[in-house]
Amino acid sequence: MNWNDVLSFARGPLFQAALLIFIAGMLYRLVRVIGLGWSRNHVRPKKSQTKGVVMSYLKGILIWPFVPWVKNTFTKNPIIYLAGGLFHLGLFVILVLGTAHMLVWKSLLGFGWKTLPLPIVDWFAAATIVAMVVLFINRLINPVLKLLTGTAEWLNLLFVFVPMLTGYIMTHHLFFQYEVLFSIHMLSVDFLLIWIPFSRISHFVFYFFSKSIHGQEFAKHGVRA
Amino acid sequence: MDGKSIFDELKEKGVSRREFIKLSGAIAGAIGLTSFPSVEAQAGTSARFPRAYQPAQLVAKALASKPRIPVIWLEFQDCAGCSEALTRSESPTLVNLVLNMISIEYHETLSAAAGFQVEEAKRAAMEKYAGQYLLVVEGSVSPKDGGIYCSIGGRSSVDILEEAAAGAAAVIATGTCATFGGLPKAKPNPTGAVSVMGLIKDKPVINISGCPAIPEVFTGVVAHYLVFGTLPALDSLNRPTIFYGNTIHDRCLRRPFYEAGKFASSFDDEGARQGWCLYKLGCKGPTTYNACATLKWSGGLSFPVQSGHPCLGCSQPDFWDGGGFYQGQSAPLSKPAGTLGAMAAGAGVVLGVGSALANKQQKKNAKKSEPGEKGGSHELE
Amino acid sequence: MIATQQAINMFVQETGGWAASQLEACTRCGMCAEACHFYQSSANPEYAPVWKLEILKRAYEQRFTLVGKFKTAIGIDKKITDQDVAHWSELNYYACTVCNKCAMVCPMGIDLGTLLHTVRSGLAAAGMVPEDLETAVMKQVIEGSPLGMTASVWDSRLEWVADEWEVDIPRDVKGADTLVVFTSIEVMKFPTNVAAIAKILNAAGEKWTVSSSAREVVNFGFYEGDQEHEKLFMRRLFDGAKELGVKRIVVTECGHAYDALRFHAPNLLSEANDYEIVHITGVMADLVKSGRIKLQEGFYDNVGTLTLHDACKIQRKGGYIQEPRDILNIIAPKSFKEMTPNQEEAICCGGGGGVIAIKAADPIRYDVFTLKIDQVNKIGANMVTMTCSNCRLQFTDCMDHFKLDWKITGLAQMVADAMVE
Repeated sequence: MNWNDVLSFARGPLFQAALLIFIAGMLYRLVRVIGLGWSRNHVRPKKSQTKGVVMSYLKGILIWPFVPWVKNTFTKNPIIYLAGGLFHLGLFVILVLGTAHMLVWKSLLGFGWKTLPLPIVDWFAAATIVAMVVLFINRLINPVLKLLTGTAEWLNLLFVFVPMLTGYIMTHHLFFQYEVLFSIHMLSVDFLLIWIPFSRISHFVFYFFSKSIHGQEFAKHGVRA
Repeated sequence: MDGKSIFDELKEKGVSRREFIKLSGAIAGAIGLTSFPSVEAQAGTSARFPRAYQPAQLVAKALASKPRIPVIWLEFQDCAGCSEALTRSESPTLVNLVLNMISIEYHETLSAAAGFQVEEAKRAAMEKYAGQYLLVVEGSVSPKDGGIYCSIGGRSSVDILEEAAAGAAAVIATGTCATFGGLPKAKPNPTGAVSVMGLIKDKPVINISGCPAIPEVFTGVVAHYLVFGTLPALDSLNRPTIFYGNTIHDRCLRRPFYEAGKFASSFDDEGARQGWCLYKLGCKGPTTYNACATLKWSGGLSFPVQSGHPCLGCSQPDFWDGGGFYQGQSAPLSKPAGTLGAMAAGAGVVLGVGSALANKQQKKNAKKSEPGEKGGSHELE
Repeated sequence: MIATQQAINMFVQETGGWAASQLEACTRCGMCAEACHFYQSSANPEYAPVWKLEILKRAYEQRFTLVGKFKTAIGIDKKITDQDVAHWSELNYYACTVCNKCAMVCPMGIDLGTLLHTVRSGLAAAGMVPEDLETAVMKQVIEGSPLGMTASVWDSRLEWVADEWEVDIPRDVKGADTLVVFTSIEVMKFPTNVAAIAKILNAAGEKWTVSSSAREVVNFGFYEGDQEHEKLFMRRLFDGAKELGVKRIVVTECGHAYDALRFHAPNLLSEANDYEIVHITGVMADLVKSGRIKLQEGFYDNVGTLTLHDACKIQRKGGYIQEPRDILNIIAPKSFKEMTPNQEEAICCGGGGGVIAIKAADPIRYDVFTLKIDQVNKIGANMVTMTCSNCRLQFTDCMDHFKLDWKITGLAQMVADAMVE
């Protein structure tokens, strides 16, 4: 057993298995949640619900997370909020607009797209790692998060942090042999894929539920989402 | 042979002393002896002598005093490409020189003789040079089904290899087939091909992988053995670190483009014309250890990446199964078949629907057991 | 354990895809704590809104998810116990006004207010409502009002108000357009508000009435989370409205009652959608805009600094955000100053959600009010107006407690005073 074999295993059969578990697990969760039934809301809306939902997404995705002073609440903790926004933005840029990752999508979906130059993605990656560290420290010291954080939350952080760190180091060919880091990167990604359906990292799916509900609900009440 | 030194033989062939020293230097360079002896050991030497002279001297000494090394060259499941590469090397003097250092007692492709005659010669050589000869193996061995997929003179490749290895001083596996199984071992491996080191456990096996192996690497290893009488330092895959210590990517002339994030997206786009990095076109340079980028091919003229083709990773184990040649290295080796994906999706949906039904029933039960007034009787589950 | 089982049963009933998808979306980032005035004032991490939901989340996971069932079976997740229910009862009833500010900051947009209401439903089903609150509910069931406003008290009070302020209050008029439903807080504690609203509606020439059967708009069943009680109290209102044949129900300055009638009733009682349900703030703004009542411009410009307290149920959850500001910009363009944060991000008074009715929660409630004191002091206001009598009750109570001398008033009262005939 050498790193080449580990790498082939992590990129090959393990990745396949992880992907299948991911698909099955996420579908199970989605179907289970949707299958709980949706009772009709008879409240007459005060404002357009469509507009509410659209605004909810616009604020959630485009503006809100990156402008902490938009909402006064975050004057209390702007760094954490900024870190959270930056982390997600970075993740999106790296996973979608990074060349190496685009090739993964290409192999899975059959088509590729233009990507950002490596140095730019690189800055995002560095910022994302810093953001992650900030969030990590915050989870350690914030009294509320101490209460909320269990093993699962630490595993979430670990499973996201390891691929990110190894990915960064291997892109720069630092410290370790490339295939060693590549192996660890892929192994951790595989574990992440398996872990997602069992964890709250799946919020990337349910985000769309809660955000739609938010927009709809606030429009019903006649309040800006 | 006959106790004559290599130098003596060269002199007979008309090689002058001056040429001899030059070639010695070349060999020294080839096996990475430029900094030998170590800096500390050189402390007392006069500054008049260039450093490169000393390794050359060392090599010259060895060549002047030692007889040629007997070599037995076996071919199994191979294409003779490694032999071809060696004999047609574009640096004939160097390779010739090295070929002069060895005396090939048996080589299927090169021998003029054939049949029982040549088999007899091999047997004689193995007896005569028992414990001294170098065994070079080209091609993978096939033990499957009693070895019927690869046999020579009615004997299986395993038999032949084991017999030859028994009396060898060391075994050199040349080419990826011999080192890691290579193409014959590619999925589904119909002949059950195995590498030499997969079979020979009691002898030092040195792997010179590549498809084909770089001739200069082969000659370098032989020269090293000749000069020092030992095998060079090896990596975890038994490859000499002096040649396999760095990846293609490490020494690649297109590396600056990788760092700058400039990639060719197809073989005929502007990026390709500008000589940008071939990562997106499937280059396996980052995980491939070999000396292509430094020694290059055809006398240092070029190597695949330089001439516009991504590295296939041919000097790595199982390179044939290491994902599409033109698929970026970050991509997974293979995507799950559609049917498997559909099955997983189906399983997820079935599980979800099952859960949903159970949950619906649970909700119904909860409603039923809801008492009109508080304090109704409930059984805990 | 029966109580716990009943709580879980209620959670199981109430958790549909709507709630489940939001519970699944939670990333446990703890942002909601930053929004919660109870957490901000006490720094008790257990007051984080997400933690108040924990019991619902646990019930959901243990009952509806395979992973949760598995974890409970092998003992990683502990089953919900009576102690848990008691503990969460305290967290939810003492330290939550269901003001929904947490929903404003949740990065996932989870509508925590509604989920917190579900938690209350479960706790109520388990019979774990704090005693004071339960007493008030039972009082409303029996006497028709938690403040003891029985039919006879109602009669005498209204007569007195009509007398004292010389206003005409049409009672039980069949065929009126609008039924105005007062809260007992107004009738019993802020009668000026009753007079003011009567004055405004009369001046506008509205065809309105009050009903002696639908006399109490307060809905303590809504505070408690018990749907049966909630429905009972709502039905009294709708029955009264039906009897008089009105088209519109105007909720006076009461926050939770508006929330309950406008946004809860349609899903509990089908007749709710037969009526247009509006809050008096909206009515006043419309009357001003259409010119049916005239306000003296700058009437309050000499009172010093005036500010508006946004009530959670009327502004943040009710959408009447611009209306009171439009009015204040007419009657007090110079003296009116906004607090920060304001509008839908305003800090709740701390008395809503039934908290003010629970004696044991008093220290927490006063603690929370310190945030409001800071806010008001920052802009140096000496007069605070609001559109919710429950907030007003909390404010006046805290004036005593903290020995403050701000003038606390209701918006309707200000409008009535500033009206020109």
